[in-house]
Amino acid sequence: MASIFDLISFENIEADEIQNDDEMTVIPLVGPKLGDIAKPSSLIFERTTTYGSMQFLNQDKKPAIVPSHFMVRGPSAQDHAMSGSGVVIGKQSRTFNDSCCIEQSQGGYLRSQGNVHDVLPITLRKALLSKALRHEQSYQKLWPSITVWLGGLNLSKSGQAHLNFFYNDKNVKEHLEQFAAAFEPVQNQIGAIIFFGRDPVGFEIMSSHDHWMTYWKYLIRGCYGAELLRLKMLGKIAPTGFLLPELSTRMSEEKMSKTLETFTNKLTKEMVEMVGSVPILKSETVDLNGHVETKLITTDRGGGDVVLQDSKPVYVSLVL
Amino acid sequence: MKQVQKIDSGILQFAPKGAFYEGASDQFKTIFDMWVNLFNYDRTLFCLISLLNGTGFSKGSIGHLLLSNPQLGKELIPKGLSVDYEAQVIKYNLWKEKTPRALKNLLMLAGKENTHSRLIDTAKYGRKRVNNSRTRKIILEYIFNRDHESLDNLAVNYKGKLKKLIRHALGNVDLHKILSGDTYLFDKWIGRYHSNAMPVLFYLFDRDLQKDVVYTHYKKIQQVRLLKKAAIEGDVKNFKKLMKGLPVLTVMGYRNLYKVPIEKEEVYTKSTMSSRQKLTSESAAKRAGADIKVNYKKQDIYDLWKVFFHKVNTQDEENLDKIFSALEFQDKKLDKIDMGETVIILDCSGSMQGSEERPLHPFLTAISIISVIENVKEVIPVGGKGISRKTSDGTQYLYPQGSTKLWKGLIKAVSSGVKNIVVISDGYENNLKGMFEHVYDALKKKGKEFDLIHINPVFSADAKMGTARKLTKDTEALPVTDYKFLETELLFNRMLENKDMVKKLLLNKYTKLIGG
Repeated sequence: MASIFDLISFENIEADEIQNDDEMTVIPLVGPKLGDIAKPSSLIFERTTTYGSMQFLNQDKKPAIVPSHFMVRGPSAQDHAMSGSGVVIGKQSRTFNDSCCIEQSQGGYLRSQGNVHDVLPITLRKALLSKALRHEQSYQKLWPSITVWLGGLNLSKSGQAHLNFFYNDKNVKEHLEQFAAAFEPVQNQIGAIIFFGRDPVGFEIMSSHDHWMTYWKYLIRGCYGAELLRLKMLGKIAPTGFLLPELSTRMSEEKMSKTLETFTNKLTKEMVEMVGSVPILKSETVDLNGHVETKLITTDRGGGDVVLQDSKPVYVSLVL
Repeated sequence: MKQVQKIDSGILQFAPKGAFYEGASDQFKTIFDMWVNLFNYDRTLFCLISLLNGTGFSKGSIGHLLLSNPQLGKELIPKGLSVDYEAQVIKYNLWKEKTPRALKNLLMLAGKENTHSRLIDTAKYGRKRVNNSRTRKIILEYIFNRDHESLDNLAVNYKGKLKKLIRHALGNVDLHKILSGDTYLFDKWIGRYHSNAMPVLFYLFDRDLQKDVVYTHYKKIQQVRLLKKAAIEGDVKNFKKLMKGLPVLTVMGYRNLYKVPIEKEEVYTKSTMSSRQKLTSESAAKRAGADIKVNYKKQDIYDLWKVFFHKVNTQDEENLDKIFSALEFQDKKLDKIDMGETVIILDCSGSMQGSEERPLHPFLTAISIISVIENVKEVIPVGGKGISRKTSDGTQYLYPQGSTKLWKGLIKAVSSGVKNIVVISDGYENNLKGMFEHVYDALKKKGKEFDLIHINPVFSADAKMGTARKLTKDTEALPVTDYKFLETELLFNRMLENKDMVKKLLLNKYTKLIGG
């Protein structure tokens, strides 16, 4: 059975120094630009045209990629999220009619201005991994999952499938910013592997460092940070740390330094291998735009999208 | 007995600009609680600490809190202080500030300096208009208690702000009466400070001059009025003649408003700018084709670093050598604090880039702090990205980027054998959490003798105690968001341990600065 690294054979991508803060650990992935994808600044969210339809404009000649489960929350309008990733070909608008409303009883359409962007939390992304549900044109398809996801959280507002009850909660907001603070992007970073404790929960690769710099906060804060915070609020995750190697009093400073370097390198390698060996159970094409193909990958515990340009991967977003 | 919770000098150093990972709103909430906390604990101490170095914003806010709460009875005023010591301290601070900041602080009283309302629930946090006899006197004294020339300059440069302040202080009714010729009210509120200020009021409130009122003492006001007339009439020749010597912003304002067809270059060249304004407008002026002569050696070291990195980022090589030379000059000229031989670990990670509102502030502060520490054996940068420029001795300049391995810097610093180790960092390790402390503990256990001082140039709302994030449990982080504030920080460190001693020190400072 093929594993993630068998299927996604990236060249020249390396793991950088491991970063950890309490329960979350991130291994930055660094490497060169992948494929020939439009700059993130050329991709603009224009509006929602009807409930369940998100429209994007690509101002560049090259194809652009809307990140998986991209979420837009705006004032006096029904918030929306993508059902997966999306490809918008050069110099065109594209409306994704299989998008999800994520604010049950709010009316109004989103505009291009005044919005907050994020990516859906892990559990809700996993709920959209079936091909059938992904393409179902039903704006309320995510409401049952949102209701369950919000259940049991002590938020200032509750009672309906409004995801912004979580993101707009004062305490939640403050905590989410801290996730962004603890995991700074490194030079040439284009992706990351994300863990809760030692369990891999996400594998993200963007087309370039520019793309990573644009979207990393939506992922670390809005997706993984939000899920982790929810688990903490529900008391479903225990604080975890790494047992650092003992530095004896007889060690020279040089030896101390080497011991810690060896420790972090070994830890990084082990954790990367853990993700690389995750088996791929299914791979099916869900979208095709010229030379750009989107595949939906299913793993034993999750899955997500891989976008290929001329058969080479240029974007990966998997929740594990 | 009242208890004061943990506070630190961050409360004097706050500016509402946010950080890499925190909005200004969260920060303001934390700092506001600290102000109120200290105010309730000891009002006199709260007032007197504002004599120490701090940001104009913090001092303005301290003044606002004092003026919006009536002063206690005479019997509760400590010995050695005059009855109106609060007003004296506030006025002293206003005069010490640069004029724009002083006016902003006064506008806080008028509810016009709305930095706060953007930030925070103003009703909840008490940011509101304050108008009482103390505020009225302070505002009017600040504006009018000055000579003709100074008042002339103030009126020309800050017309809009002065209008708001005077209207707030006098109220619409009294203002109208004064402008209509009520000499009793004029003498009562304004004439006591400046008996010949009536023409200035006419100018500020755009009232036509009575025929017998002339601007003999206010040449700039007269010049501006004529400039405006020329602009309205499209008299370019006269406009050019009159703009000489007037503030660049005033001239540019009339040029733009009335679409006077003259080049920006000419405005930059003929009108006047302060030394700092020249530095900050250099790029804009250059784009307009003007050649502004900036005396770099006169500039503050922080501003010089700011311009240096701006030039590097925009690949503007012009005058870089002059800036290098000015940096070296300022580095030598600044008063230094000698802690003995010191090694500095400098955090160059991405978060030291600061917020969008105040780009690079933490990093610029950090490198400026290095210049005020005497006897530095070595600076160990951690993280960062090299930029093309190098110093004259070949040292690579760095730009903050990426993650931090501060623990490596600590090992290197301790290996140097130097006892004093200063780490300048925002307190985020971005490695395995706790590695710095792990190494610190191991080195201490090993018997290495060193004193670690953690200077944190980033205000942190999420710090569990105080305003700065710590790196180890037993090393307090010293918040220093301006290199000039080290003295303040040192005093603050002693405040909780010995309040009376600090109060005495501050009383002495009051006597020295303001008088008995």
